[in-house]
Amino acid sequence: MSASAVRRFVFAFGAAFALFYAVARARGLAIFTVYPAQGIVLLGTHRSREFVDPVLDFLAPEMYWYGWTAAAAVGALVVGVVATVLTERLSWVWAWCIWTVPPLAMLACVYLTMPWFRL
Amino acid sequence: MTTAILIVHGLVAVALLGAITHQSLATCAPSNAKPSSFFGRFCAIPAERFANAIIVLYLTSALLGAVVYLYFKIDIQPDLERDRHWHAMGFLDLKEDFVAIGLGVLPAYWFCWRGPADSQHNHIRTILTILLAFIVWWSFLVGHVLNDIRGFGS
Repeated sequence: MSASAVRRFVFAFGAAFALFYAVARARGLAIFTVYPAQGIVLLGTHRSREFVDPVLDFLAPEMYWYGWTAAAAVGALVVGVVATVLTERLSWVWAWCIWTVPPLAMLACVYLTMPWFRL
Repeated sequence: MTTAILIVHGLVAVALLGAITHQSLATCAPSNAKPSSFFGRFCAIPAERFANAIIVLYLTSALLGAVVYLYFKIDIQPDLERDRHWHAMGFLDLKEDFVAIGLGVLPAYWFCWRGPADSQHNHIRTILTILLAFIVWWSFLVGHVLNDIRGFGS
């Protein structure tokens, strides 16, 4: 793979990863859900209250972070591969996205976290 | 076992913090700094030599943090929620978000640092380095506060 193709891949991957992570975080799109107390992993996004009474859902805390990260990685991998086959003339787009999208995604995550600070 | 992983996680984080801080300061230091000045000494060490170490340390720290997070969710988070440490929970949420975004940025960071600086990637290299430095500092401070949360502010 040429240096130009590697550059397009890594820049597109980084930007797409940040974007998809923020989207996955906002929409609750986890590829899998981890239940550490039970030691089980379920495909897709699941909530404890779907299985137990909401009062008892603390017995089966769910974790989405791993699923969000995996979802972002898969989506970014696809975008990265597409970027390598696109024309070199578009490389300025990826170079621009890699330093603008991740900080914006971080700001989006700050916005999504605001409910914790209103309690 | 969890305590051992947490301690190793903390030690790796300290090494990462030192490396990324050194690199980001060297990147941002004025090029006309005197050799005997503080920034001049920072610039004397080639910043690109830190890049691979930073990537390995970041990945190691993230992996160890991901393992510790499982135990945190079961053993610590219920206590934090019971004691109404909502701000701490929010800061931790931000830490996990920022760390994940940092993971995605790592390949581009590696690419920008793999060769000598050129004008084409210079500003991207600087921005990504500062971004990673911010993520590492945020993660370190939040992790440190959460680790000591029961004695923090009391």
